Amino acid sequence: MTLAAQIRKLQVAVSLAMAMLGGSPAGSAPASQDSAAKSDAGYLTPVEAKFSVDGARLYVVCEDADALLVVDPRTKKVIGRVHVGHRPKDVAQSPDGQKLYVSNEWSDNVTEIDAKTLKVTRTIPTGWGPVGLVTDGTGQTLYVANSIGSDVSVIELATGTEKKRLASWRSPHNVLLSRDGRYVFVSNMLGHLGPWDQAPVSELTIIDANRQTIAYRLQIPGAIELRHIAEGSATEGSDLIIPFMRPKNLNPLIQVSNGWILTHGMLVLHPSNTAKGGYEVSQVLLDDIDQYYAGANGVAFTPDGKRLLVASSEANIVSVIDTAKLKQRINSVPASQLPDRLDSAATFVQRRLETGAEPMAIAVSRQGDRAYVVNRLDDSLTVINLTTTRVEGRIDLGGPKEETTLRTGEKLFHSAKFCFQGQFACVTCHPDNHIDGVSWNLETPELGKDRVANRTLRGISETAPYKWNGHNPDLETQCGPRIAKFLFHSEGFNKEELADLVAFIKAIPLAPNRHLAADGQLTLSQERGKKIFFQKNCDNCHPPATHYTALRSFDVGTANKYDTSGNFDVPQLDRIYEKPPYLHNGEALTLEEIWTVFNNEDKHGVTSDMTKEQLNDLIEFLKTL
Amino acid sequence: MKYRQIALATLLGLALLLCAGSRAQESPVYTRWENFTTANGMPDDKVFQAAVDGDRVWAGTENGLVLIEKGRIQKVYKVEDGLPNRVVTSVAVDPSSGDVWLATFGGLSRFSGGEFKNYRNLTSGLANDIVYAVAVQGEYVWAATTAGISRLNTLTGEWAIFSEKNAPMHEPWSYGIAVTGKKVYFAVWGGGLLEYDIEGGWWKPYNDPDGEMELVLFQNQGLLHDIVSNVAYNSQTNMVWASTYFGLSGYDGHDWHNYLSTDSALASDFINAVQSRGDDVWACTDKGLSYLNFKTGEWITYRPAEAGNGGDIVITTADKKVERRQSSTTLAHNYILNLTFQNDDIWVATAKGLSHGMREPNHQSNKEGNRNEHKSASR
Repeated sequence: MTLAAQIRKLQVAVSLAMAMLGGSPAGSAPASQDSAAKSDAGYLTPVEAKFSVDGARLYVVCEDADALLVVDPRTKKVIGRVHVGHRPKDVAQSPDGQKLYVSNEWSDNVTEIDAKTLKVTRTIPTGWGPVGLVTDGTGQTLYVANSIGSDVSVIELATGTEKKRLASWRSPHNVLLSRDGRYVFVSNMLGHLGPWDQAPVSELTIIDANRQTIAYRLQIPGAIELRHIAEGSATEGSDLIIPFMRPKNLNPLIQVSNGWILTHGMLVLHPSNTAKGGYEVSQVLLDDIDQYYAGANGVAFTPDGKRLLVASSEANIVSVIDTAKLKQRINSVPASQLPDRLDSAATFVQRRLETGAEPMAIAVSRQGDRAYVVNRLDDSLTVINLTTTRVEGRIDLGGPKEETTLRTGEKLFHSAKFCFQGQFACVTCHPDNHIDGVSWNLETPELGKDRVANRTLRGISETAPYKWNGHNPDLETQCGPRIAKFLFHSEGFNKEELADLVAFIKAIPLAPNRHLAADGQLTLSQERGKKIFFQKNCDNCHPPATHYTALRSFDVGTANKYDTSGNFDVPQLDRIYEKPPYLHNGEALTLEEIWTVFNNEDKHGVTSDMTKEQLNDLIEFLKTL
Repeated sequence: MKYRQIALATLLGLALLLCAGSRAQESPVYTRWENFTTANGMPDDKVFQAAVDGDRVWAGTENGLVLIEKGRIQKVYKVEDGLPNRVVTSVAVDPSSGDVWLATFGGLSRFSGGEFKNYRNLTSGLANDIVYAVAVQGEYVWAATTAGISRLNTLTGEWAIFSEKNAPMHEPWSYGIAVTGKKVYFAVWGGGLLEYDIEGGWWKPYNDPDGEMELVLFQNQGLLHDIVSNVAYNSQTNMVWASTYFGLSGYDGHDWHNYLSTDSALASDFINAVQSRGDDVWACTDKGLSYLNFKTGEWITYRPAEAGNGGDIVITTADKKVERRQSSTTLAHNYILNLTFQNDDIWVATAKGLSHGMREPNHQSNKEGNRNEHKSASR
């Protein structure tokens, strides 16, 4: 037995022992084959950390281990482990700290845990893809953001039942209860489905916690990937901070070498009685002029509100910010200029601290003396001493010490260091290995032409060729020299790195299908749609055997004046409902529009003779793929 | 002489009070009206429907959506604000989310948190962009369109269409929707009244048994007429009411209760909409607003006075005794399109504005104060 295998065996034994100590399985839905293979490496992959109500414990959510870890911040040891559902994303607590709630994104439920015994007490069903969650001030209600359903489950905890679902906007991510308990804030990762040749608009959904209704939808122009939310101290004005990314997707990406194509920063929302939605919104960049801090993600205030910490998950950096200086900056630069000013960060960032790989979340101790940064791809926490503003240590959460090819590839995927000035990583435009929901002007001989919609990386290993023009025969070509030259404007990955990166991308699994019944039985509408699919010969270009793609390009009449060719790679249809907008340039905002608006010549299947009912049925079938 | 006059006046007053008092216990009379018209900020004269959400009143007009709160028009939303079409024919508030759903002549729209999300025939599974009615039933949103009834499952995004192809409709043109816990009723133009059981997925059609377009041969044997303009379900009496262009029909699950202007005090047989709660049934006709107390058989009809000053109120008791009253304020117009309730008050959509009716005398003192705050355009 090799040393690595011995370590692995030992880790499994330890994990099993801890699981037995920690609690029973949540009884959640089984993992998909793909994701199970990934989890077999034994990585923990922590994604979130929160302090217990009494401040004595740190709860760490580990998505690949399907576990909640309990860490003693004094001893820096893992003291408990609870097995939860599949792909957990966040943890919330009852106001008294006695109950913990862990969202399981791929099990579509929440695991309730007794904080004292670490026993699982209930599994509560939610909407599709539960991620961020929070209890209300009374502990009677749990709000859960559903990433796939794009809504928020409002759960009555006394009965463990979902009272209602409130629509958020698109791919909601994190949830925060305001300090006064009046509002629940929900950040949305993806922007609105809007005009494909316009800058995106995102949304912060604000829920009235008393009425449990939507109070306001705060529109955020020009930004996407709204993630964590933090509220400052009341004495400092109760500002909300939400990290984001600003894509200049209307500019050709050839301009990456000129900088300023993808910028990263944060929304600063200052309460205001006169502003729309109750907040004056400023967009402030965290990047410097010659160095970017990609992946603005986790965020936390110190208890006194005087400092703010923001994690840049693709730069492996935590920026420590002087909030007084941040306010000065906001007040001294016109609001219209602020979102694009790269000279802001230098005025308020006290220090940039290096972390482990992919810092995703930050938890600050109740005393405000230390911050704990969750390093997703390091299975560790970075400990920051807030008195000295220095990294003082690392807490090993117990993941494998050997780095697998997939893990190396995943780190490369999440690292912006390969891009000119660190502007972006692969994951910047493919958050959650998926899409950013906007159309881009990628490398092209004719600037401004051939704009294309972002394509998912989930389940693509057997769908070569790649790119919308089908010019890349394999992922090595796609991710190697082409990305180096046209996107990163750098040397890119070396041969070994490229192999690891491609291995990781090929292993990215599909998410569970939410439109298909567990037993695979189609509904009447889906069954009718299936017949139409084959009667209309959709399978000629979308054959089931190869993920519903013919693995080649066709001209189906979807080119517009910006396109230099009408031939486009046939997209795979797996989980098609997760991928709007549609068509090569993202012009079709809904599945319906593919045929009702962009198939006037019947080249994308003969569909002009279909009734509306038939089209609805066809779409219902497509969602089951 | 002076004392005799005072005594006579007192007696007369007491008699009127006694008369009004005994009536008021049966059916309160709405004598105070405040009107919202183009004169005080409405974007258009024609108001199709109003919907109440607590203290808020949403009104769909021929030129936008109006929010009325605290007695004032707070905001008018138009196409440039994101509304899919200027004609807003129906409004429904989802009490669960606070979202406001709108039927328009440009599709279905959800107004939520200050933003519109529009569903059109080309961009969604909606059957047609001409939508006459919208109703919310848990996770389902129902839309009555010219090409059938569309149902959106807001949790899954699934659209279903019910039309002459899969439902017992003579034709798909649908006008009204009333939802109950497990059933939905549809008013279908020329197709009568349809009942749909959600769990069972079955339909029950109600049609005019005589099949005569202009005649009513069998008055209480079924629906009065197949041209049904709207439908209401009374959850307290479990009765369904259908307004037709040839009279008013009510069905209690066993018997039909039909009313014509020729044999009742109904203002007109041409009825645009009906609403009902408790013993109250309101018929929105082209010649005024008619109220029926289903329990006592008393009718009250409201319409602006022909002379142009104030309003006429005609009270007809079950034994056909008629009392006529005058009110200093009245409805904005006698062509009534719809009605909705706000506690004891009613909001009436008319062809010339939205009218807020307040009951007398119970709430007189409170409402009087409110009225003084309003910039009312009373006739």
